[in-house]
Amino acid sequence: MRTKIKIGEKTYDVEISETTENFIRVRIEDKDYFFAKNEFGEIIPVEKESIDFGVLTKESEVIWETLAEKEIKSPIAGTVSSIDVKKDQTLRPGQKVATLIAMKMENEIISETSGIVKEIKVKENQSVNSGDVLIVLE
Amino acid sequence: MQIRYFSQLKSTNLKAKELAKIGVKPWTVVVAEKQISGYGKEKASWFSPKGGLYFSIVLPKSKIEDLQTLTILAAFIVAKTIKENFFLEPLIKLPNDVLLNGKKVAGILTENIIGKDVKSSVLGIGLNTNVEKFPKELEKTATSLKIELGRKVANVKLVKQIVQGLKEQLKTISE
Repeated sequence: MRTKIKIGEKTYDVEISETTENFIRVRIEDKDYFFAKNEFGEIIPVEKESIDFGVLTKESEVIWETLAEKEIKSPIAGTVSSIDVKKDQTLRPGQKVATLIAMKMENEIISETSGIVKEIKVKENQSVNSGDVLIVLE
Repeated sequence: MQIRYFSQLKSTNLKAKELAKIGVKPWTVVVAEKQISGYGKEKASWFSPKGGLYFSIVLPKSKIEDLQTLTILAAFIVAKTIKENFFLEPLIKLPNDVLLNGKKVAGILTENIIGKDVKSSVLGIGLNTNVEKFPKELEKTATSLKIELGRKVANVKLVKQIVQGLKEQLKTISE
């Protein structure tokens, strides 16, 4: 979440993001401040140095997730019965991109984000596994 | 359970999907006396004259990993309802058809909309209840309860039993 906070005459750019369930990063004018929940569930400031390896792993997961939004992956294993978008097409959130048939069920796969179709990774009648990339967006 | 009756629809699944998109309550049921273009898997047409039972249920959202059980559970409930009401011996052709004497008496089509999670699930059931006669190309593969029993059955009662049965069954798996 990004916002601007005005204190006196100066306006600060503030970005708040959750790096893990327990850590919150507040970026004020390119400087990071970290907060964590203590054992009582209260939010307290923590030193950057105190963020251990586990947290760093979580931070890389956050970055990975941001990248992953540029791909539409198959949520289930099945057979592609139709591709409903074309290369260079602009997508809006909620738009149907493909139909997968699995266990005789019809599954309409929708895009959660907006974007432009950069590449279609699968063909009709192709079998896919859960997690396979169907469409790459830019 | 809210049941919406229509004298005819293109397809009860299409109607239920429309309703799911505008956010009707889970367990809203759409029933049509006949379907103009009823369909099953991969849009294969489902013979839907007046007399048969055609309905679709807007299901509560389930987890992606539970989706595959929906159709099978529905097939089980349809077979159980037929067995208990009419003392017939239905056979489930997994995952989505119910047979009587080797002929199809019911078919199920579940349609889901999925993004990062399940947005909606609609389960459609076509049950040949009081269908008197099938076209020649279906005679050998399809049957109806009326053909098997030699008498009419009550459609409304069956819808209620099947939906109620499914509701109870789904409650069990989600617990």
